Amino acid sequence: MDVVQHALLFVLQWQNLAALAGGTLCGILVGVLPGLGPSAGMALALPLVIKWHPATALIFLGALYKCSNYGGSITAILVNTPGDASNAATLLDGYPMCQQGRGGVALGLSATSAMVGGTIGMICLIVAAPPLAEFALKFGPAEYFLTALLALSIIAAVVQGATIKGLISAGLGLLLSTVGFDVITGQLRYTFDWAPLEDGIPLIQALVGLFAVTQAFVLAQSNESISRIARLSGGFWEGVLTYFRHPAAIVRASTIGLLVGVLPAVGQSSAGLLAWAEAKRSSRHPEKFGHGSTEGVLASETATNACMPGDLVCTIALGIPGSLGAAIFLGVMIIFGVAPGPLVFTEKADIIYALFVALVLTSFLLFVIGMLFARRLAVITLLPNEVIVPMILVVSLLGSFAIRNEMADVLISLAFGALGYVMLKGGFTPIPLLLGLVLGEMVETNYHRALMISGGSYTIFYDSIISKVLIALTVLSLAGPYLGPFWKTLTQGEK
Amino acid sequence: MRTLRLLGIVLTAGLLASGAYGADFPAKPVKLIVTAAAGGGEDTEARAIAPFVEKHLGQSVVIENQPGAGGKIAFEKFQKLEPDGYTVITYTFPKSVIIEYQGKAGFRTRDFTPIFAWSRSSQLLVVNSESWRTFDEFLKAARAKPLAGGLSGRGSTTDLMGRIALDDFGIKANWVPYEGSAGSVAALAGKHLDFTICLATSAVNLIRAGRLRPLLLFSDKRDPYIPDVPIPADLGQKMTFIPTLRGVEAPPKTPAAVIKVLEDAFTKAAAEPAFIETAKKRQIVLQPVSSKEFAQAVADVYPRIARFQDVLKQ
Repeated sequence: MDVVQHALLFVLQWQNLAALAGGTLCGILVGVLPGLGPSAGMALALPLVIKWHPATALIFLGALYKCSNYGGSITAILVNTPGDASNAATLLDGYPMCQQGRGGVALGLSATSAMVGGTIGMICLIVAAPPLAEFALKFGPAEYFLTALLALSIIAAVVQGATIKGLISAGLGLLLSTVGFDVITGQLRYTFDWAPLEDGIPLIQALVGLFAVTQAFVLAQSNESISRIARLSGGFWEGVLTYFRHPAAIVRASTIGLLVGVLPAVGQSSAGLLAWAEAKRSSRHPEKFGHGSTEGVLASETATNACMPGDLVCTIALGIPGSLGAAIFLGVMIIFGVAPGPLVFTEKADIIYALFVALVLTSFLLFVIGMLFARRLAVITLLPNEVIVPMILVVSLLGSFAIRNEMADVLISLAFGALGYVMLKGGFTPIPLLLGLVLGEMVETNYHRALMISGGSYTIFYDSIISKVLIALTVLSLAGPYLGPFWKTLTQGEK
Repeated sequence: MRTLRLLGIVLTAGLLASGAYGADFPAKPVKLIVTAAAGGGEDTEARAIAPFVEKHLGQSVVIENQPGAGGKIAFEKFQKLEPDGYTVITYTFPKSVIIEYQGKAGFRTRDFTPIFAWSRSSQLLVVNSESWRTFDEFLKAARAKPLAGGLSGRGSTTDLMGRIALDDFGIKANWVPYEGSAGSVAALAGKHLDFTICLATSAVNLIRAGRLRPLLLFSDKRDPYIPDVPIPADLGQKMTFIPTLRGVEAPPKTPAAVIKVLEDAFTKAAAEPAFIETAKKRQIVLQPVSSKEFAQAVADVYPRIARFQDVLKQ
């Protein structure tokens, strides 16, 4: 405990507090601007901090890295444009809440999620990073394949009610995930010699299309504002209070977020989506999801914010980054002479724990900043459509362009905008499509890798204990919706 | 009046011509295209050297990231650029040559004009430290039965070097491709793979912690950051290596005078103590490569990669 106390005193020095506040603000800003993610943000800020004390510089960049998520949730909620792929699930319910005039409540929810999810994640990182990292190493290709299957099985819960349309959407997502360079065979698939597709369907550009562009089309048809009623109801604090009424949902979402973060090969963008789908499955009001459910915003944002510290577990404890952002943070740590790996907790304990303490504090700082500024932003949902539609289109398409400095990406966004519009009019939900797009490659590549390692033997898929648990969970997840009523009939007799 | 106007045209043309021949180069900021996203290895090296290049060039250097399709989009645009020296490109050579062999590509690396390269990197054979202690032990095991080996990036330099190396040693392996070395290094640390081939920097943290063990460095020189790791020459094995260089090139047919100015600026920048200090922290192996040597490396690498063309297309 001595070392934590020491770290706290260090962080409370004025220059470190200033770095913390600066990093937090820059992180939010980077998150708000679509197309400028935490990776680019850290790369751009590095020359600024390169001469600082290593711990101070790492506090600044760590805060920037951790807070970008929260910034992304603000635009996701208010204008249906995700700042980063990890905010995808937040706009599913956050934006409909704005349409009902409850944007302030949604912002209160997302700020509280950032505080609670971030703190839970950080506590797990501080007390259990080495064992969590060892656990992550036990996941080989077979286990990752089964994890992805389990995640896909959640689609079954998402599509309940409109099964056929849901499965069509999921199938389309899986199909789209095969576009681009195939890691296993080294072939280009379905790119039609068009280079912008060689990396696969770019996720953020597709999201911008499916949500922001589609929404701009929808708004352009009517003579209203985003909020369909002329005044805002409920405020920031209502969101905060609502948040703490769902303790079980908070625990579930944080666990999912943390696990997705800890496993290096599971894409971060799936944390929010999986938590959202799981929350819908276990909610008493699943029909409200996608139509402005507070639980939906809570699940997605809590998971996303718990995912970031989870991502740092393997990055710091093993030196293995789980995402592009983590890889850059790892590079930054090396520059400042803090080489990550199992030894870092003893060799550089002072710096590492100062960083950890600072990252816990930034969760609370985020909440305060949200309270001061974000709730005032809810007013923009009252702006008339002729003002807001061009703004959404410009900001989101600019973001889409800025990611790779590539005009073709704007075309991709527009194409997905058209697809989103057709799906919306036809009554298809884009969630299964997103899950398929995010998880498709993970399923496919890890299936091949597992069989390459085993020399073609399928036993690799159920040899380990983790595999057996994952298989059991998948079966339960698929059969769950049918088992529930069956169990009721057994115990209570036919109604 | 007419004579005056004519004089004006002649003068302007003369000025333009002298500009094109590099007398007053550079007269405006130079754009440096990075063929990877902001924050990656290529990007951080470019951003590390850029301030020193500015100092010696007397003009600012503006970095633009064009990561699409592994750099292919950037290379295709670059091929058609005006060869005035105001736009240059940096990437990990010979990535572009590999892209040419992978599919239709609207550019030729051998057309680009090399300026300078400042660093090289070599591939490392790594195993879990609970398995083999020396390369000989590994070789014996690998000849007895095919081992599972992780490779990052199908068709990458790591992939090619791994295949060439094991071919030279007469080993067959079950190759398991990963997107990047983070995946294969993690799988090796978790004992899901028997070995992996990656850049030294990708595995150095777990090597230092004693979790992974480096057995062989595929290079003609030992790596100063891991001096104990043997190279094939130490084992009496002759091998051909694919050099991996980080450097900068100009568009096709850039005038020699312009290249000279750029090469001087980059050479001096790479010799700056502050740059060397940054490189040391990131464990970058610095090695100045002149425009002539760079051009030679480009010419040499084509036949070597062609040798494994079938593997790339398999």
